[in-house]
Amino acid sequence: MTEERAQNLIKQLHDAVVKMDEEASAQLSKTILAEGIDANRAITEGLTAAMSKVGELYTNQEYWVPELLLCSDALYAALDILKPKVKVEEAEVKGQIVLGVVEGDMHDIGKNLVKVMLDAAGWTVHDLGRDVQLERFVEEQQRTNADIVALSALMTTSMLAMPKVIQMMKARDPNVAVMVGGAPLTREIASSYGADGYAKTAVDAVAEAVKLLKPREIK
Amino acid sequence: MTKFKQDEMTEKERFEALLLRKPIDRVPFFPYDFAFAPVMLGYSKFIGYTDADKGFDAIMRTHEMFDGCPYAFHPGGAFPARVFGGEVKIPTSEYAMAVALERPAVETEEAAWKLQLPDIRTRGAIPLMMRFSELQYKYGYPISFTSGSILTRLGYIIGVEKMCRWMLRKPELVHRLCQLVVDFLVSVAEYWVDTFKHPELMIPLTGAPTDSNQIISSKQFAEFCLPYQKEVYQKIRDMGIRHIFTHICGEQNLNLPYWAQIPMGDPGIVSFGHEVDLDTASKYFPNDVIMGNIEPAVIQTGKPEAVYELSRICIEKGKKHPSGFILSSGCDMPPHSPPYNVWMMRKAIDDFGWYI
Repeated sequence: MTEERAQNLIKQLHDAVVKMDEEASAQLSKTILAEGIDANRAITEGLTAAMSKVGELYTNQEYWVPELLLCSDALYAALDILKPKVKVEEAEVKGQIVLGVVEGDMHDIGKNLVKVMLDAAGWTVHDLGRDVQLERFVEEQQRTNADIVALSALMTTSMLAMPKVIQMMKARDPNVAVMVGGAPLTREIASSYGADGYAKTAVDAVAEAVKLLKPREIK
Repeated sequence: MTKFKQDEMTEKERFEALLLRKPIDRVPFFPYDFAFAPVMLGYSKFIGYTDADKGFDAIMRTHEMFDGCPYAFHPGGAFPARVFGGEVKIPTSEYAMAVALERPAVETEEAAWKLQLPDIRTRGAIPLMMRFSELQYKYGYPISFTSGSILTRLGYIIGVEKMCRWMLRKPELVHRLCQLVVDFLVSVAEYWVDTFKHPELMIPLTGAPTDSNQIISSKQFAEFCLPYQKEVYQKIRDMGIRHIFTHICGEQNLNLPYWAQIPMGDPGIVSFGHEVDLDTASKYFPNDVIMGNIEPAVIQTGKPEAVYELSRICIEKGKKHPSGFILSSGCDMPPHSPPYNVWMMRKAIDDFGWYI
Protein backbone atom coordinates (compact mmCIF):
# COMPACT_ATOMS: atom_id res chain seq x y z
CA MET A 1 0.00 0.00 0.00
CA THR A 2 1.41 3.34 -1.00
CA GLU A 3 1.52 6.51 1.08
CA GLU A 4 -0.63 8.12 -1.60
CA ARG A 5 -3.30 5.45 -1.11
CA ALA A 6 -3.17 5.93 2.69
CA GLN A 7 -3.58 9.67 2.35
CA ASN A 8 -6.41 9.21 -0.09
CA LEU A 9 -8.32 6.87 2.24
CA ILE A 10 -7.84 9.18 5.21
CA LYS A 11 -9.04 12.12 3.13
CA GLN A 12 -12.13 10.13 2.14
CA LEU A 13 -12.75 9.34 5.80
CA HIS A 14 -12.40 13.02 6.64
CA ASP A 15 -14.87 13.95 3.92
CA ALA A 16 -17.35 11.27 4.95
CA VAL A 17 -17.58 12.77 8.43
CA VAL A 18 -17.85 16.32 7.13
CA LYS A 19 -20.55 15.21 4.67
CA MET A 20 -22.46 13.38 7.44
CA ASP A 21 -22.11 10.01 5.68
CA GLU A 22 -22.21 7.48 8.51
CA GLU A 23 -22.19 4.43 6.26
CA ALA A 24 -19.20 5.59 4.24
CA SER A 25 -17.37 6.53 7.42
CA ALA A 26 -17.78 3.02 8.87
CA GLN A 27 -16.89 1.33 5.59
CA LEU A 28 -13.79 3.47 5.09
CA SER A 29 -12.63 2.75 8.63
CA LYS A 30 -12.80 -0.97 7.92
CA THR A 31 -10.90 -0.49 4.66
CA ILE A 32 -8.27 1.58 6.44
CA LEU A 33 -7.64 -1.18 8.96
CA ALA A 34 -7.75 -3.90 6.31
CA GLU A 35 -5.09 -2.09 4.31
CA GLY A 36 -2.83 -1.78 7.34
CA ILE A 37 -3.07 1.95 7.92
CA ASP A 38 -2.37 2.94 11.50
CA ALA A 39 -5.66 3.52 13.37
CA ASN A 40 -4.21 6.35 15.41
CA ARG A 41 -3.17 8.17 12.26
CA ALA A 42 -6.63 7.72 10.75
CA ILE A 43 -8.17 9.19 13.86
CA THR A 44 -5.91 12.22 14.13
CA GLU A 45 -5.53 13.03 10.44
CA GLY A 46 -9.01 11.95 9.44
CA LEU A 47 -11.49 12.29 12.26
CA THR A 48 -9.96 15.01 14.44
CA ALA A 49 -9.33 17.14 11.37
CA ALA A 50 -12.86 16.46 10.14
CA MET A 51 -14.49 17.61 13.36
CA SER A 52 -12.27 20.65 13.36
CA LYS A 53 -13.64 21.45 9.89
CA VAL A 54 -17.18 20.75 11.12
CA GLY A 55 -16.60 23.18 13.98
CA GLU A 56 -15.47 25.78 11.48
CA LEU A 57 -18.61 25.25 9.40
CA TYR A 58 -20.73 25.65 12.54
CA THR A 59 -18.94 28.83 13.54
CA ASN A 60 -19.45 30.21 10.02
CA GLN A 61 -23.18 29.38 10.21
CA GLU A 62 -23.01 26.86 7.39
CA TYR A 63 -23.79 23.98 9.75
CA TRP A 64 -26.26 23.97 12.64
CA VAL A 65 -27.12 21.50 15.37
CA PRO A 66 -28.85 19.03 13.00
CA GLU A 67 -25.73 18.86 10.82
CA LEU A 68 -23.44 18.58 13.88
CA LEU A 69 -25.47 15.65 15.15
CA LEU A 70 -25.19 13.78 11.86
CA CYS A 71 -21.45 14.51 11.66
CA SER A 72 -21.13 13.12 15.18
CA ASP A 73 -22.95 9.94 14.09
CA ALA A 74 -20.44 9.52 11.28
CA LEU A 75 -17.59 10.25 13.69
CA TYR A 76 -18.67 7.61 16.21
CA ALA A 77 -19.31 5.06 13.45
CA ALA A 78 -15.62 5.41 12.58
CA LEU A 79 -14.30 5.71 16.13
CA ASP A 80 -16.09 2.52 17.19
CA ILE A 81 -14.09 0.64 14.56
CA LEU A 82 -10.77 2.45 14.79
CA LYS A 83 -10.38 3.09 18.53
CA PRO A 84 -10.05 -0.56 19.65
CA LYS A 85 -7.13 -0.91 17.21
CA VAL A 86 -5.13 2.01 18.54
CA LYS A 87 -1.99 0.74 20.24
CA VAL A 88 -1.93 1.97 23.82
CA GLU A 89 1.55 3.45 23.53
CA GLU A 90 0.52 5.44 20.43
CA ALA A 91 -2.67 6.82 21.82
CA GLU A 92 -2.28 10.53 22.22
CA VAL A 93 -4.56 11.49 25.08
CA LYS A 94 -4.85 15.25 25.44
CA GLY A 95 -6.29 15.08 28.91
CA GLN A 96 -9.18 13.82 30.95
CA ILE A 97 -12.37 15.70 31.51
CA VAL A 98 -15.47 15.09 33.60
CA LEU A 99 -18.52 16.43 31.81
CA GLY A 100 -22.17 16.80 32.75
CA VAL A 101 -25.32 18.91 32.89
CA VAL A 102 -25.87 20.14 36.43
CA GLU A 103 -28.70 19.06 38.72
CA GLY A 104 -32.15 20.28 37.81
CA ASP A 105 -31.41 20.58 34.10
CA MET A 106 -32.41 17.99 31.51
CA HIS A 107 -31.15 19.87 28.45
CA ASP A 108 -28.16 17.95 27.17
CA ILE A 109 -27.75 18.71 23.47
CA GLY A 110 -25.02 21.25 24.14
CA LYS A 111 -23.22 18.92 26.52
CA ASN A 112 -23.44 16.09 23.99
CA LEU A 113 -21.91 18.27 21.32
CA VAL A 114 -19.08 19.25 23.66
CA LYS A 115 -18.43 15.54 24.20
CA VAL A 116 -18.30 14.95 20.45
CA MET A 117 -15.75 17.71 19.93
CA LEU A 118 -13.61 16.53 22.85
CA ASP A 119 -13.76 12.88 21.77
CA ALA A 120 -12.71 13.88 18.29
CA ALA A 121 -9.84 15.93 19.67
CA GLY A 122 -8.45 12.98 21.61
CA TRP A 123 -9.66 13.72 25.13
CA THR A 124 -10.82 11.07 27.53
CA VAL A 125 -14.33 12.17 28.46
CA HIS A 126 -16.16 10.93 31.54
CA ASP A 127 -19.72 11.84 30.67
CA LEU A 128 -22.04 11.93 33.68
CA GLY A 129 -25.10 12.78 31.59
CA ARG A 130 -27.79 15.27 32.56
CA ASP A 131 -29.45 16.33 35.83
CA VAL A 132 -26.27 15.32 37.68
CA GLN A 133 -26.24 15.64 41.46
CA LEU A 134 -23.58 18.15 42.42
CA GLU A 135 -21.46 15.80 44.54
CA ARG A 136 -21.23 13.36 41.59
CA PHE A 137 -18.92 15.80 39.80
CA VAL A 138 -16.56 15.81 42.76
CA GLU A 139 -16.69 12.03 43.18
CA GLU A 140 -16.06 11.40 39.49
CA GLN A 141 -13.15 13.82 39.37
CA GLN A 142 -11.69 12.11 42.42
CA ARG A 143 -12.21 8.66 40.89
CA THR A 144 -10.66 9.52 37.52
CA ASN A 145 -8.20 12.20 38.59
CA ALA A 146 -9.46 14.20 35.61
CA ASP A 147 -7.69 17.45 34.74
CA ILE A 148 -10.85 19.42 34.09
CA VAL A 149 -14.47 19.36 35.16
CA ALA A 150 -16.90 20.85 32.63
CA LEU A 151 -20.38 21.93 33.70
CA SER A 152 -23.28 22.71 31.42
CA ALA A 153 -26.58 24.49 32.16
CA LEU A 154 -29.30 25.87 29.92
CA MET A 155 -31.48 27.56 32.50
CA THR A 156 -30.99 30.54 34.76
CA THR A 157 -32.04 28.39 37.72
CA SER A 158 -29.66 25.51 37.03
CA MET A 159 -26.71 27.80 36.41
CA LEU A 160 -26.99 28.68 40.11
CA ALA A 161 -25.71 25.16 40.87
CA MET A 162 -22.40 25.95 39.18
CA PRO A 163 -20.78 28.10 41.90
CA LYS A 164 -21.63 25.38 44.41
CA VAL A 165 -19.94 22.67 42.38
CA ILE A 166 -16.94 24.92 41.82
CA GLN A 167 -16.71 25.63 45.52
CA MET A 168 -16.94 21.92 46.37
CA MET A 169 -14.34 21.05 43.76
CA LYS A 170 -11.87 23.74 44.77
CA ALA A 171 -12.25 22.87 48.45
CA ARG A 172 -11.12 19.34 47.68
CA ASP A 173 -8.43 20.19 45.12
CA PRO A 174 -7.73 23.79 44.12
CA ASN A 175 -5.71 22.57 41.13
CA VAL A 176 -8.64 21.03 39.32
CA ALA A 177 -9.76 23.36 36.58
CA VAL A 178 -13.48 23.93 36.13
CA MET A 179 -15.02 25.26 32.94
CA VAL A 180 -18.66 26.15 32.35
CA GLY A 181 -20.94 26.75 29.40
CA GLY A 182 -24.57 27.08 28.38
CA ALA A 183 -26.97 29.64 26.97
CA PRO A 184 -27.53 31.91 30.00
CA LEU A 185 -23.83 32.14 30.88
CA THR A 186 -21.27 34.71 29.92
CA ARG A 187 -17.57 34.87 30.60
CA GLU A 188 -18.30 37.50 33.23
CA ILE A 189 -20.77 35.28 35.07
CA ALA A 190 -18.40 32.30 34.76
CA SER A 191 -15.66 34.34 36.31
CA SER A 192 -17.91 35.56 39.14
CA TYR A 193 -18.72 31.90 39.88
CA GLY A 194 -15.02 31.14 40.26
CA ALA A 195 -14.77 29.10 37.06
CA ASP A 196 -11.38 28.84 35.40
CA GLY A 197 -12.80 28.69 31.91
CA TYR A 198 -15.87 29.42 29.83
CA ALA A 199 -16.95 28.27 26.39
CA LYS A 200 -19.71 29.98 24.44
CA THR A 201 -20.18 27.06 22.06
CA ALA A 202 -19.28 23.38 21.82
CA VAL A 203 -16.67 24.30 19.25
CA ASP A 204 -15.01 26.76 21.63
CA ALA A 205 -14.95 24.16 24.40
CA VAL A 206 -11.99 22.24 23.00
CA ALA A 207 -9.78 25.31 22.68
CA GLU A 208 -10.75 26.40 26.18
CA ALA A 209 -9.96 22.96 27.60
CA VAL A 210 -6.56 22.96 25.93
CA LYS A 211 -5.88 26.38 27.39
CA LEU A 212 -6.77 25.16 30.86
CA LEU A 213 -4.60 22.09 30.52
CA LYS A 214 -1.45 24.00 29.61
CA PRO A 215 -0.53 25.41 33.03
CA ARG A 216 -0.83 21.91 34.46
CA GLU A 217 1.59 20.56 31.87
CA ILE A 218 4.14 23.21 32.76
CA LYS A 219 3.95 22.45 36.48
CA MET B 1 -39.21 56.26 49.93
CA THR B 2 -39.82 56.27 46.18
CA LYS B 3 -43.26 57.40 45.15
CA PHE B 4 -44.37 56.68 41.62
CA LYS B 5 -46.31 59.21 39.58
CA GLN B 6 -50.05 58.70 39.60
CA ASP B 7 -51.19 56.33 36.83
CA GLU B 8 -54.01 57.64 34.69
CA MET B 9 -55.23 54.17 33.78
CA THR B 10 -55.65 50.92 35.65
CA GLU B 11 -53.52 47.97 34.58
CA LYS B 12 -56.57 46.45 32.89
CA GLU B 13 -57.55 49.67 31.10
CA ARG B 14 -53.99 50.14 29.89
CA PHE B 15 -53.65 46.58 28.58
CA GLU B 16 -57.02 46.70 26.84
CA ALA B 17 -56.26 50.08 25.28
CA LEU B 18 -52.92 48.80 24.05
CA LEU B 19 -54.62 45.90 22.28
CA LEU B 20 -57.23 48.25 20.81
CA ARG B 21 -54.39 50.44 19.47
CA LYS B 22 -55.56 53.34 21.63
CA PRO B 23 -53.28 55.78 23.50
CA ILE B 24 -52.02 54.71 26.93
CA ASP B 25 -50.47 56.66 29.80
CA ARG B 26 -47.26 54.68 30.26
CA VAL B 27 -45.39 51.54 29.23
CA PRO B 28 -47.01 48.45 30.77
CA PHE B 29 -44.98 45.93 32.73
CA PHE B 30 -45.25 42.17 32.38
CA PRO B 31 -43.37 40.25 35.10
CA TYR B 32 -43.34 36.96 33.10
CA ASP B 33 -43.80 35.23 36.38
CA PHE B 34 -45.19 31.69 36.20
CA ALA B 35 -42.23 30.40 38.25
CA PHE B 36 -41.24 33.68 39.91
CA ALA B 37 -44.68 34.49 41.36
CA PRO B 38 -45.00 31.35 43.53
CA VAL B 39 -41.66 32.19 45.17
CA MET B 40 -43.01 35.65 46.01
CA LEU B 41 -45.89 33.98 47.85
CA GLY B 42 -43.75 31.43 49.65
CA TYR B 43 -44.84 28.48 47.51
CA SER B 44 -42.64 26.06 45.65
CA LYS B 45 -41.72 27.61 42.31
CA PHE B 46 -43.29 24.52 40.68
CA ILE B 47 -46.71 24.91 42.30
CA GLY B 48 -48.34 25.91 39.03
CA TYR B 49 -47.50 22.51 37.54
CA THR B 50 -49.59 20.71 40.16
CA ASP B 51 -52.03 23.29 41.58
CA ALA B 52 -53.54 25.75 39.12
CA ASP B 53 -55.40 27.65 41.85
CA LYS B 54 -52.30 28.44 43.89
CA GLY B 55 -50.27 29.12 40.76
CA PHE B 56 -52.82 31.60 39.43
CA ASP B 57 -53.34 33.22 42.82
CA ALA B 58 -49.58 33.78 43.13
CA ILE B 59 -49.47 35.43 39.72
CA MET B 60 -52.38 37.78 40.49
CA ARG B 61 -50.80 38.86 43.75
CA THR B 62 -47.38 39.33 42.15
CA HIS B 63 -49.01 41.46 39.47
CA GLU B 64 -50.57 43.51 42.24
CA MET B 65 -47.16 43.97 43.84
CA PHE B 66 -45.38 45.07 40.64
CA ASP B 67 -48.32 46.65 38.75
CA GLY B 68 -48.11 43.86 36.21
CA CYS B 69 -50.43 43.93 33.24
CA PRO B 70 -53.26 41.44 33.66
CA TYR B 71 -52.08 38.64 31.46
CA ALA B 72 -51.03 35.22 32.71
CA PHE B 73 -50.44 31.90 31.06
CA HIS B 74 -49.82 28.35 32.00
CA PRO B 75 -46.82 27.46 29.86
CA GLY B 76 -47.73 23.80 29.76
CA GLY B 77 -44.06 22.95 29.51
CA ALA B 78 -43.64 19.64 27.82
CA PHE B 79 -47.42 19.07 27.72
CA PRO B 80 -47.56 17.53 24.23
CA ALA B 81 -45.30 14.72 25.41
CA ARG B 82 -47.90 13.31 27.81
CA VAL B 83 -50.78 13.98 25.47
CA PHE B 84 -49.11 11.74 22.88
CA GLY B 85 -48.00 9.09 25.39
CA GLY B 86 -44.53 10.23 26.46
CA GLU B 87 -43.35 10.97 29.98
CA VAL B 88 -42.22 14.22 31.56
CA LYS B 89 -40.33 15.01 34.69
CA ILE B 90 -42.03 17.40 37.11
CA PRO B 91 -39.12 19.32 38.60
CA THR B 92 -38.25 19.07 42.27
CA SER B 93 -34.61 20.16 42.44
CA GLU B 94 -33.90 23.62 43.77
CA TYR B 95 -32.02 24.27 40.52
CA ALA B 96 -34.79 23.17 38.15
CA MET B 97 -37.28 25.49 36.53
CA ALA B 98 -39.49 23.76 34.00
CA VAL B 99 -41.07 20.45 33.17
CA ALA B 100 -38.69 18.43 31.03
CA LEU B 101 -39.07 15.56 28.65
CA GLU B 102 -38.19 12.25 30.30
CA ARG B 103 -39.23 9.82 27.58
CA PRO B 104 -40.49 10.81 24.13
CA ALA B 105 -43.82 9.52 22.86
CA VAL B 106 -42.16 7.71 19.98
CA GLU B 107 -38.73 6.16 19.66
CA THR B 108 -38.75 4.67 16.16
CA GLU B 109 -39.44 5.86 12.68
CA GLU B 110 -42.16 3.24 12.28
CA ALA B 111 -43.94 4.45 15.43
CA ALA B 112 -43.64 8.05 14.24
CA TRP B 113 -45.34 7.21 10.94
CA LYS B 114 -48.18 5.60 12.89
CA LEU B 115 -48.58 8.35 15.49
CA GLN B 116 -52.13 9.70 15.58
CA LEU B 117 -53.82 12.61 17.30
CA PRO B 118 -55.46 11.37 20.51
CA ASP B 119 -58.53 12.84 22.18
CA ILE B 120 -56.73 15.63 23.96
CA ARG B 121 -59.33 16.69 26.54
CA THR B 122 -58.36 14.50 29.44
CA ARG B 123 -54.72 13.84 28.72
CA GLY B 124 -51.56 15.08 30.37
CA ALA B 125 -51.64 18.62 31.73
CA ILE B 126 -54.68 19.65 29.68
CA PRO B 127 -57.15 19.47 32.62
CA LEU B 128 -54.75 21.50 34.79
CA MET B 129 -54.35 24.11 32.06
CA MET B 130 -58.12 24.21 31.63
CA ARG B 131 -58.54 24.88 35.35
CA PHE B 132 -56.01 27.72 35.03
CA SER B 133 -58.16 29.20 32.26
CA GLU B 134 -61.33 28.90 34.36
CA LEU B 135 -59.59 31.10 36.92
CA GLN B 136 -58.53 33.57 34.24
CA TYR B 137 -62.14 33.82 33.11
CA LYS B 138 -63.41 34.17 36.66
CA TYR B 139 -60.98 36.96 37.55
CA GLY B 140 -61.24 38.91 34.30
CA TYR B 141 -57.88 37.96 32.83
CA PRO B 142 -57.64 37.12 29.14
CA ILE B 143 -58.04 33.37 28.69
CA SER B 144 -54.83 31.79 27.46
CA PHE B 145 -54.06 28.35 26.21
CA THR B 146 -50.76 26.95 25.07
CA SER B 147 -50.21 26.80 21.35
CA GLY B 148 -47.01 26.45 19.22
CA SER B 149 -44.37 26.68 18.18
CA ILE B 150 -44.49 23.73 15.83
CA LEU B 151 -40.89 22.61 16.32
CA THR B 152 -40.87 23.21 20.07
CA ARG B 153 -43.98 21.06 20.45
CA LEU B 154 -42.63 18.42 18.08
CA GLY B 155 -39.39 18.35 20.08
CA TYR B 156 -41.44 17.41 23.13
CA ILE B 157 -43.11 14.57 21.26
CA ILE B 158 -40.09 12.91 19.64
CA GLY B 159 -37.11 14.56 21.37
CA VAL B 160 -35.12 17.47 19.97
CA GLU B 161 -32.08 15.47 18.88
CA LYS B 162 -34.20 13.00 16.95
CA MET B 163 -36.16 15.83 15.40
CA CYS B 164 -32.91 17.47 14.27
CA ARG B 165 -31.59 14.23 12.77
CA TRP B 166 -34.85 13.46 10.98
CA MET B 167 -35.06 16.98 9.58
CA LEU B 168 -32.05 16.06 7.46
CA ARG B 169 -32.49 12.31 7.07
CA LYS B 170 -36.28 11.89 6.98
CA PRO B 171 -37.74 15.27 6.00
CA GLU B 172 -40.94 13.70 4.72
CA LEU B 173 -41.54 12.17 8.14
CA VAL B 174 -40.88 15.49 9.91
CA HIS B 175 -43.35 17.20 7.56
CA ARG B 176 -45.92 14.56 8.44
CA LEU B 177 -45.28 15.13 12.16
CA CYS B 178 -45.43 18.92 11.79
CA GLN B 179 -48.87 18.53 10.24
CA LEU B 180 -49.85 16.35 13.19
CA VAL B 181 -48.69 19.10 15.56
CA VAL B 182 -50.85 21.57 13.60
CA ASP B 183 -53.87 19.31 14.09
CA PHE B 184 -53.01 18.96 17.77
CA LEU B 185 -52.69 22.71 18.38
CA VAL B 186 -55.88 23.44 16.44
CA SER B 187 -57.76 20.84 18.49
CA VAL B 188 -56.49 22.48 21.71
CA ALA B 189 -57.73 25.85 20.44
CA GLU B 190 -61.10 24.36 19.49
CA TYR B 191 -61.46 22.82 22.94
CA TRP B 192 -60.85 26.18 24.62
CA VAL B 193 -63.18 28.06 22.29
CA ASP B 194 -65.91 25.40 22.72
CA THR B 195 -65.55 25.60 26.49
CA PHE B 196 -65.60 29.35 27.01
CA LYS B 197 -67.52 30.50 23.90
CA HIS B 198 -65.69 33.82 24.00
CA PRO B 199 -62.81 33.77 21.51
CA GLU B 200 -62.62 37.56 21.80
CA LEU B 201 -61.44 37.11 25.41
CA MET B 202 -58.61 34.76 24.48
CA ILE B 203 -54.89 35.35 24.04
CA PRO B 204 -53.16 32.03 23.40
CA LEU B 205 -49.45 31.62 24.03
CA THR B 206 -46.66 30.37 21.83
CA GLY B 207 -43.15 29.85 23.14
CA ALA B 208 -40.52 29.05 20.56
CA PRO B 209 -37.17 28.09 22.10
CA THR B 210 -36.42 25.15 19.81
CA ASP B 211 -36.73 27.33 16.72
CA SER B 212 -33.76 29.42 17.80
CA ASN B 213 -30.73 29.83 15.58
CA GLN B 214 -28.69 28.36 18.41
CA ILE B 215 -30.21 25.07 17.18
CA ILE B 216 -31.53 25.32 13.63
CA SER B 217 -30.85 27.45 10.57
CA SER B 218 -33.31 29.96 9.18
CA LYS B 219 -33.61 27.70 6.13
CA GLN B 220 -34.73 24.85 8.36
CA PHE B 221 -37.12 27.21 10.12
CA ALA B 222 -38.57 28.27 6.77
CA GLU B 223 -39.05 24.67 5.69
CA PHE B 224 -40.31 23.00 8.85
CA CYS B 225 -41.89 25.74 10.91
CA LEU B 226 -43.12 28.62 8.77
CA PRO B 227 -45.87 26.96 6.70
CA TYR B 228 -47.27 25.06 9.69
CA GLN B 229 -47.07 27.99 12.09
CA LYS B 230 -48.92 30.11 9.54
CA GLU B 231 -51.61 27.46 9.26
CA VAL B 232 -52.10 27.18 13.03
CA TYR B 233 -52.24 30.95 13.53
CA GLN B 234 -54.61 31.47 10.61
CA LYS B 235 -56.95 28.79 11.97
CA ILE B 236 -56.79 30.31 15.46
CA ARG B 237 -57.57 33.72 14.01
CA ASP B 238 -60.45 32.24 11.99
CA MET B 239 -62.00 31.05 15.27
CA GLY B 240 -62.41 34.70 16.25
CA ILE B 241 -59.31 34.99 18.41
CA ARG B 242 -57.83 38.39 17.78
CA HIS B 243 -54.54 38.41 19.67
CA ILE B 244 -51.80 35.80 20.06
CA PHE B 245 -48.84 36.08 22.41
CA THR B 246 -45.67 34.78 20.73
CA HIS B 247 -42.36 34.51 22.55
CA ILE B 248 -39.58 34.33 19.97
CA CYS B 249 -37.10 32.82 22.36
CA GLY B 250 -33.33 33.14 22.25
CA GLU B 251 -31.21 34.04 19.23
CA GLN B 252 -33.63 34.26 16.30
CA ASN B 253 -32.39 37.20 14.30
CA LEU B 254 -32.09 35.09 11.16
CA ASN B 255 -35.65 33.80 11.56
CA LEU B 256 -37.28 37.20 11.94
CA PRO B 257 -38.03 37.71 8.22
CA TYR B 258 -40.01 34.45 8.37
CA TRP B 259 -41.77 35.13 11.67
CA ALA B 260 -42.84 38.44 10.13
CA GLN B 261 -44.78 36.51 7.47
CA ILE B 262 -46.98 34.83 10.09
CA PRO B 263 -50.35 36.40 11.02
CA MET B 264 -49.45 37.23 14.62
CA GLY B 265 -52.72 38.91 15.58
CA ASP B 266 -54.48 42.25 15.36
CA PRO B 267 -52.30 43.19 17.06
CA GLY B 268 -50.23 40.25 18.15
CA ILE B 269 -48.02 40.50 21.21
CA VAL B 270 -44.53 39.52 20.14
CA SER B 271 -41.97 38.96 22.86
CA PHE B 272 -38.22 38.73 22.28
CA GLY B 273 -35.15 37.37 23.98
CA HIS B 274 -32.38 39.81 24.77
CA GLU B 275 -30.55 38.56 21.70
CA VAL B 276 -32.89 40.53 19.44
CA ASP B 277 -32.49 44.30 19.48
CA LEU B 278 -35.82 46.06 20.01
CA ASP B 279 -35.16 48.41 17.10
CA THR B 280 -34.86 45.32 14.89
CA ALA B 281 -38.00 43.84 16.44
CA SER B 282 -39.86 47.08 15.72
CA LYS B 283 -38.81 46.98 12.09
CA TYR B 284 -40.13 43.46 11.53
CA PHE B 285 -43.36 43.82 13.52
CA PRO B 286 -44.59 47.38 12.94
CA ASN B 287 -48.25 46.42 13.48
CA ASP B 288 -47.82 44.29 16.60
CA VAL B 289 -47.15 45.09 20.23
CA ILE B 290 -43.53 44.23 20.96
CA MET B 291 -42.34 43.05 24.35
CA GLY B 292 -39.05 42.50 26.04
CA ASN B 293 -36.34 41.99 26.72
CA ILE B 294 -34.08 42.34 29.75
CA GLU B 295 -31.56 39.50 29.90
CA PRO B 296 -32.92 37.10 32.55
CA ALA B 297 -29.46 36.22 33.85
CA VAL B 298 -28.83 39.90 34.59
CA ILE B 299 -32.11 40.17 36.50
CA GLN B 300 -31.10 37.12 38.50
CA THR B 301 -27.43 37.81 39.13
CA GLY B 302 -26.81 41.44 38.16
CA LYS B 303 -26.70 44.55 40.27
CA PRO B 304 -29.93 46.59 40.56
CA GLU B 305 -28.25 49.44 38.67
CA ALA B 306 -27.54 47.10 35.74
CA VAL B 307 -31.18 46.01 35.59
CA TYR B 308 -32.32 49.62 35.80
CA GLU B 309 -29.99 50.69 33.00
CA LEU B 310 -31.03 47.83 30.71
CA SER B 311 -34.64 48.70 31.45
CA ARG B 312 -34.02 52.34 30.52
CA ILE B 313 -32.50 51.31 27.21
CA CYS B 314 -35.38 48.94 26.44
CA ILE B 315 -38.02 51.50 27.36
CA GLU B 316 -36.43 54.23 25.26
CA LYS B 317 -36.29 51.93 22.24
CA GLY B 318 -39.70 50.33 22.87
CA LYS B 319 -41.51 53.63 23.36
CA LYS B 320 -40.71 54.57 19.76
CA HIS B 321 -42.53 51.51 18.46
CA PRO B 322 -45.77 52.65 16.77
CA SER B 323 -47.91 49.71 17.95
CA GLY B 324 -46.92 49.75 21.59
CA PHE B 325 -44.43 48.14 23.88
CA ILE B 326 -44.48 46.10 27.09
CA LEU B 327 -41.41 45.94 29.30
CA SER B 328 -40.54 42.43 30.48
CA SER B 329 -37.68 40.04 30.95
CA GLY B 330 -36.36 38.41 27.78
CA CYS B 331 -37.81 35.04 28.79
CA ASP B 332 -39.39 33.59 31.94
CA MET B 333 -38.43 35.63 34.98
CA PRO B 334 -35.87 33.53 36.85
CA PRO B 335 -37.64 32.44 40.04
CA HIS B 336 -34.60 33.24 42.16
CA SER B 337 -34.38 36.83 40.94
CA PRO B 338 -34.05 39.33 43.76
CA PRO B 339 -37.44 41.07 43.98
CA TYR B 340 -35.60 44.37 44.21
CA ASN B 341 -34.17 43.81 40.71
CA VAL B 342 -37.69 43.22 39.41
CA TRP B 343 -38.85 46.37 41.14
CA MET B 344 -36.05 48.27 39.37
CA MET B 345 -37.74 47.42 36.08
CA ARG B 346 -40.97 48.91 37.37
CA LYS B 347 -39.09 51.96 38.67
CA ALA B 348 -37.48 52.48 35.27
CA ILE B 349 -40.96 52.59 33.72
CA ASP B 350 -41.89 55.35 36.15
CA ASP B 351 -38.74 57.27 35.30
CA PHE B 352 -38.69 56.79 31.51
CA GLY B 353 -41.91 55.10 30.38
CA TRP B 354 -44.50 57.87 30.28
CA TYR B 355 -46.28 58.78 27.05
CA ILE B 356 -48.05 61.75 28.56
